[in-house]
Order: sequence, then structure tokens, then C-alpha cells
Amino acid sequence: MASTTPSKPSSGGLQTTTIIAVVVVGILLIVGGIILGQATPLLFPQQASAEAAQVDNLFHIMLVIGGAIFLLVQGLLVFSMWRFRARKGETGDGEPIHGNTTLEIVWTAIPAVIVFVLTILSWQVFNSLQAPKPGEASVVVAGARFNWAFTYNVPLSILGYEVDETLLPPDVKDDLADDGTVSITSATLYSYVNQPVALAMDARDVIHAFWVPAFRVKQDLIPGRTTTVRFTPTVADTYPSGIQCAELCGANHGIMRADIVVAENEAEYNKLLTPILESRLFPPADPVVRGRAILESNVYPCYTCHVLSDLSSANWVGNVGPALDGVADRAATSRANATSQTAAEYLYTSIHEPGAYLVPGYGNLMPQLGVPECDVWAMVAYLATQSTSGSAPFEVVQPDVCIPQVSGPPGSEPPPAGEATAEAAAETEVVPAEATAEATAEGS
Amino acid sequence: MASITLPVGGGTQSGAAEAPKLRVSDFLRWSVDHKIIGVQYMAVALFFFIVGGTLAMLIRWELLTPNLDVVQTGTQYNTLFSVHGLVMIFLWIIPMMAGFGNYLVPLQLGAKDMAFPWLNAFAFWLIPPAGILLIGSMLVGAPESGWTQYPPLSTLYSGDGQTLAALSIHLLGISSILGAINFIVTIKNMRPAGMGWWQLPLFCWATLATAIIVVMATPFLAGGLTLLILDKIAGTSFFDAGNGGDPQLWQNVFWFYSHPAVYIMILPGMGMLSEVLATHARKPVFGYKMVAISSMAIALVGFTVWAHHMFTSLTPELRVPFMITSMIIAVPTGIKIFSWLGTIWGGKIRFTSAMLFGLGFLSMFVVGGIGGVMLAAIPFDIHVHDTYFVVSHLHFVLYGGSVFTIYAGIYHWFPKITGRMLDERLGKWHFALTYVGFFFSFFPMNFAGMLGMPRRVAYYLPEFQSVNTVISISAFVLGISTFVMLYNIWISMRHGKKAGANPWRALTLEWATTSPPPSTNFIDDPVPFHDPYGYGDKDSQAYLDDIDKRFGVGEDVPVPRPAVQPAASGD
Repeated sequence: MASTTPSKPSSGGLQTTTIIAVVVVGILLIVGGIILGQATPLLFPQQASAEAAQVDNLFHIMLVIGGAIFLLVQGLLVFSMWRFRARKGETGDGEPIHGNTTLEIVWTAIPAVIVFVLTILSWQVFNSLQAPKPGEASVVVAGARFNWAFTYNVPLSILGYEVDETLLPPDVKDDLADDGTVSITSATLYSYVNQPVALAMDARDVIHAFWVPAFRVKQDLIPGRTTTVRFTPTVADTYPSGIQCAELCGANHGIMRADIVVAENEAEYNKLLTPILESRLFPPADPVVRGRAILESNVYPCYTCHVLSDLSSANWVGNVGPALDGVADRAATSRANATSQTAAEYLYTSIHEPGAYLVPGYGNLMPQLGVPECDVWAMVAYLATQSTSGSAPFEVVQPDVCIPQVSGPPGSEPPPAGEATAEAAAETEVVPAEATAEATAEGS
Repeated sequence: MASITLPVGGGTQSGAAEAPKLRVSDFLRWSVDHKIIGVQYMAVALFFFIVGGTLAMLIRWELLTPNLDVVQTGTQYNTLFSVHGLVMIFLWIIPMMAGFGNYLVPLQLGAKDMAFPWLNAFAFWLIPPAGILLIGSMLVGAPESGWTQYPPLSTLYSGDGQTLAALSIHLLGISSILGAINFIVTIKNMRPAGMGWWQLPLFCWATLATAIIVVMATPFLAGGLTLLILDKIAGTSFFDAGNGGDPQLWQNVFWFYSHPAVYIMILPGMGMLSEVLATHARKPVFGYKMVAISSMAIALVGFTVWAHHMFTSLTPELRVPFMITSMIIAVPTGIKIFSWLGTIWGGKIRFTSAMLFGLGFLSMFVVGGIGGVMLAAIPFDIHVHDTYFVVSHLHFVLYGGSVFTIYAGIYHWFPKITGRMLDERLGKWHFALTYVGFFFSFFPMNFAGMLGMPRRVAYYLPEFQSVNTVISISAFVLGISTFVMLYNIWISMRHGKKAGANPWRALTLEWATTSPPPSTNFIDDPVPFHDPYGYGDKDSQAYLDDIDKRFGVGEDVPVPRPAVQPAASGD
């Protein structure tokens, strides 16, 4: 359509030369678009999900068409600038051509057809992305400034050995009684190849967006509603910082990232989840150890705002909230006085109901994180040890329901309550955590 | 053939029309003269362009490295780009376009002033206090939620500066609405005899379309901002999910204004572009009616596409209708692009600085347009939503689009406003630096976004450092290019060559009077030429020669005059 514009708009029939020019230019544009379209794979990150392939194909088509239009417009522009430049000494005007109805219909109709086709194609891809897949695994996602947490409901059968259910901690028993599974939470997203996944996502504070560039999926997490995103990973790999928050959520929005581990198959996937499940089933008897392990796992976003030297290896370097070094001393003295609570109660309230007492000079920014009761008490026990003397200046009494009954998997394994679990967890858990730490440590 | 229409009634007066002298003090106080108000708008807008540009330079300086190092906290960084966005949109592009509208619309209509001169001045004087509020907002507590101000980040987590910023935008919205009412009434009622709707200059058509959008859309922004401010200061919870509100309500109301606002920012520029391309290519606008109608079509369809900004948050079933409308709006935009190409085709193109920016617009805007269609496709948008791909797209349409047309407009109408020409050599330097700096600032952002870099981040993965370095260095070039123009304006105001009434030999009525025009604009009632873009028409040559004869020609004659006036035109 390009080259019909020019030569003889006044002549009745199209001249042969014009027709040849249109055909040649048309072919050149199509070839040019196809050549530009070849760049598609270079423009995307790794293609690691079923969705990615569909999105990339759609983009490829758009790039070919868009590339041809780009070349057409730039080509016409450059050609006109050269061909129709005013020569030195020329004083006249151009030809008084006011329009050409045929041409105007053509350049209205062709774009209309193009966008119609693109709409249909996009609609098809979108339907396929949204459609629930058979055998979907469900994972619950919580986004809070500036951290991701993933909760899986797993049956005890993934352990591969028998567990005496009567000896499990009381809250685990409740969980099992509900639906035969135990919910476990990790700061890393686990999945395996060709397993369709549906994430049910909640925002704890502000709007976040779950984005995995390698999967080409994105969905906002909106306070007050649960949103869903679906994907099917196709490449087994570890994706450090594979998840990135894409909706502005505050000071550290840029480092609200999380790792993804995609296992080869279900057995490998279960192996990845086993240590997390074991740490829930057989928690360390000492609440201080337990509390430290919970905070160190970064399933709660505490580290993004608070600084605590003891946990600096787990990236506790935030600068938004009050520093937690020496928090036990302050809890026992000034804060207990200010709130007329005991030190332990004060720490408990500060986690459980963050807005209740604000440390002077700090705003009410900490969201309700929905931390389970026993996790809060374990954290309190650990924080009580964060004093200048190194020992707890006050006692933290754990509620009965939170005292685990020492147990362990049968057979060769030693009772995992205590160090064995911690080590097992360390093998899988800490690796990605370190990867995150590396990525962000450079930022601080 | 019809008899030649002369620009001045009767044509009896002899040539001695004296251009008035401009005094700086006239521009520093309340005035109801639309020309003074127009220049006031432009001067204030240029000032805030420098402010917003400085913030942009700080942003790009910070992004030279993947870590936070130039500013102290992430919140400060968020404040930089939030205020950058608000300033550039509400205190630069929109007031600048309003400035051109104020200056040109009455002149193009052959009128003495706008329909409501006092209201016009009042609308302008809302801008300086709003500007002070917005700049002040940075000092009293960070507005850190982007120009989109999404709650609950803006309502529950940002500082008091957010409230001030919202108040500032509220004032600017009122100013826009008052200005728009004025434009609609002026264009509807004050056209001269001999100027029907189809003889209306395309800049007036575009301003009319824009004003209709402003009047219909801006009240939604005002409503949304009122709720936002109440949430911040009065304890209401319209947007607080924890207390029965809904954060997405804001997104719908905000984008119901802010998508049409994109057309508020681009349509007047498109109008200016039609004037510039036709004049400097010496050819009628190709498909004048379609260009005019497509402005109206864009204005109308523009109201149905807002939720394409919410493709990752909107309920999935509701997304498809907005994809359809967003795709449709590409068609009238395409009509405009092809019509402009048709306009320069077969012309006698003069590569003035104004024309270079006009051609540069075509070259850059098409990139933004193609990116826009890609973004309308939901599956692809889901991947690049809130990434640098979007940052690239929006700057291609707002910088490569609106700002390029503003630059073209400045070079085209500066002679009319001041009576002096801008320096063409500096103008070409300005164009070259802007074009190259712009392209390499914003095109590589497409790659960063698609490969996985989100927008609004002070931290990014180390693999994106090389592309960000290219972007930042180009952005610094772009920043420098602005000062070439400002220097040009500064020296040309005093030392530029005398322009004469009609240096470009343009046919619209603003050129049929002295430069600058007298306070009543015209000495007699001017008679418009029967076709505002009748270049190449023999009658038009006579009409233009008559303007030259009546008002004299300047020292510099960028468009050469035919040797002897009754001579037939070139072809």
C-alpha cells in the first residue's frame, strides 16, 4: 500500500510500474519483517514454562507484523525526505493533492484486519493461560513487604517412612485432622517439570505482583482478595531470584525477589520438601533454637525491615524498622515500662499485633503477618536472648500446646529433633537463601 | 476561479503595521490577554520541564549501578520517579499544550481573545501554587507511590507528601477543566465568517477533541483524588481492604481519567504536527477530514480502553473487552500516521528545525505505536506489564510523541510569539542530540523489560547493568540537548533575526498579523483563506504575497518567495 501513494494519483488506472513497485515493496517488507522476527528468542529470558512458548510465539507474530510496519513507515519517511526535498533555489509548493479515497480506505482496512487477527490470536492464548489444568498442584502465596512465602499442603506419605502421628506436635495434629496434609512454608517456590501449578495469592499489606520472567506469567496480589496465577514449568533448574515483585510496593520493592527450584520429577520434588516437612514435624525442643530457625528461614518478611547482627548471614539488614540487636534489654526495661506489659508479653504483642505499641520514632508500617501462635512464642524465646549480655534477661514460658513431644522417624535416622533436622534443612533450604543473599548483599 | 481572498478586510490599508514591543514585566502579572497567558503557561511549563528533567537525571545516575548508591534509601528513589512522573505530565506536557492552545486558538480563529478571558487567567494562576505544592511534597514526607498513586501504598504507607501531591494534582485538574471549557466555547462560537468546521485548522480540531476529553475525564480524577485525600487525612477507608474498602476502585477511577489523559497529552501535539508538516512540506494535509475525524474517534474510543492498564490485576474475564477496544484505537492512530506520510509525499520539504522535529516525531511515534499494539495483546502484556518495556513505550509516545511535537511547535511559532527567529544551526544541533539521545535512552529499555527488569526499582540484577549504562549515558545526552534549546531561546529572544509576519509562508490566520500580534490580535477582521492548507494553489500564493506586502518580510526568509509576485507557482 506504501508505494501507491505517490506517483500518479490522478491517473485513472494503475500503471504497470506502480503495480510492480507495490508488489516489490510488499515482498521486501514481508521479508524484512520475517528477518526482524528472528530476533525473538534473543529478546526473552530462558523459555521455561508451557506458557512461555505460547507467549513467545504470539510475540514472534507481532514482531514480524510490527517490524514490517516499522520498515514501511521509516522507509517511506526516508525516501520522501530524499525524493521530495526542496532543491536549492526552488520556490514553489508541492502538488495540491488533498487526499485519495481509495488509499485512505486501504490504510484504514489493512490495520483493522491486522488488529482483528491479533485480537483473536491473543484471545486464544489468553484463554489457554487462564484455563484450569487437570491435576493442578495448589500452592498458597503470601506477599508482604518485601518477601515471598509459599505454603504447600503435603501428605505425610512424601516422607517415605512411617511416623507415629500421636507423637507429633499438637498444631500439626490439628492440621492433619483437617484434610490429611500438613502445611509447610518456605521462602522458595518448589515445583517439578510438567506439573501444572495454580498459585492462590494474598497480599498482606500493599499490592504486589508475582512475576516469573522465565515463565512469562504475572499476576497482582491485591489486599482483600485472593488472586490466581497458573503455570506449568518445563525445564528442571534452579532459578535464583526467579520471582520478582513487579508492582511498586515501597522502599525495597526492587529486591522483593524469591528463588524457584524446579525438580525433574515428583520424587525429586518430594525430596526437596521433606526437610521442610521434617522441621515442622520434629521441631527442635529448645524454643530458642526453634525461633532462630524460623526467623532464619525468612518465610516471614521480618528481615526486610529489621536489622539483627546474629542473623546477618540470612540477610537481616533492613533499615525500615527498629533494630533488634539488644531488643531483649529494651523489652525488659523501657518498653515494658512504657506499655506496662511484661517483657515477654511486649515482644509477643509486637509480633502478633504490630500496631499495638509503636517504638517512638517509627510509623505503623508492620502488617499483620498471620504468624501461628507457636511460631510467635518461639520467636519471642529467641529474641529474649538478644541482649548485650548474651543471655535472656527474662524468662519466656512457652504455652503447653507449643511444646513438641520429642519424636523422630523410625529406623536408622537419629531423632531429628535438634541438629539433624537443622542440618538436613540447611542442605536444601540455605542454598537458595544464600543465592538471594548474594544478589542482595551487593545492593547494600 | 473564485476571486482571491485577502487576509485583511478590504486590503485598503497600506503596509505600516507595527509589531508591539514585549516587556518582561507584562508576563509577571495578572493579564487576561490570551497571548500573555499562553506565554505564561509555556514559561512555567519549561521551568518544570527542567525540574522534572533534573529528577530524571538523578534517576539515571542512580541506575548506573545495580545497587542503591546515589540516594540514601529506596524511599528517596521512589520519590524521585514519582515526582518526575507527576511533574512531567501535569506541570510540563499538559500546561505546555495548554500554552500553545491559548496562544494559537484565538489567532487561528481570527478572534481577539478567548471566549472567557478572566477564566483563562484564573486557570493559569492555579498552576504556580500547584507546582509549589508538588515540589514541597518532596520535602515533607515522601510521595513514594509513583505517579499512579496506587493505594494502599499511597494511603496507608506513604508520607504526608502524598497528600500534598494529591492536592496539587487536584488544583491542576481544576485548571485543566476551566481551560478546556474555554477552548470548547471559543472554537464553537468564535470562528470567523468563512471558516466552517471543515476549514478549521487541525490544531483547533485537536484542541477541541482534547478539551472534550478533559471536560469529561478530569472530574473522575478529581473524585478519585478526593477519596484518596479523605483516606489520608479523614480516616475514611474507601481504598483500605482491611476496613471494607477496595484498592482496585482507585485503579478503575484513576485510569478512567489517566488513559484519556494520554490523549490529552498527544492530541494537541498531533494538531501542531499537521500544521508543521503541511507548512514545511508545502503541501495540503493529506486526508484533512480523516485527520480531523480520527482525533474525535481517538477521543471517543479513548474512554473505553482504561482497564488495559490493569491486565495483571483485573478479574480475568473482564480483560478481553479492553483488549478489543485497545486494539481498535490503533486504527485511527494509524490513519493519522499514514495521512502525515501522504502529506510529505510529493511536497517540497524544507528541513527547518521545526520540520526535523516533525519528521522525528513520525519516526519515533510509530515505534511507540507498534509497542502499544503489542501491549494491548493480553498474554504479552502480562509478561511485560510494569517492566521497562512499558517505560519505553510511554516515553516513545510522550517524549518521542508529545515532546517532539512541542519542540516542533516551539521552532515553528517562536517567530510569531517573539518576532524573532530561533537560530537554525543551534536548532539542528538540538534535533540531532535529542533524536540520538532519545532513541538510545528509550529503545534499549524494551530489551531490559522483556528480559526481566521491572520498572520503579532502585536495585536490579547485575546482568542488566550494561544496558542501563547505555541508557543512562544516552539520557545524559538527552538532558544536555535541552539546554541547547534553552540557550537558543535565550539568545534568539534578543538577537534572533527579525521574523516578519509570516516567515514560513503559512496559510493559517495567526500568520496574517504582525509578530508578535498587537493586543487585539488583528487590525481589522481577518479573512481566512478558503483552505487552511491550500499550498500549491495559485490563489494561496497571492494570499501569502498579500500578507508579505501588508506586513513586510523579515531579515531571514527561510521559505523563499517566488521572484515576482504575480508569477505562477512552481509546477
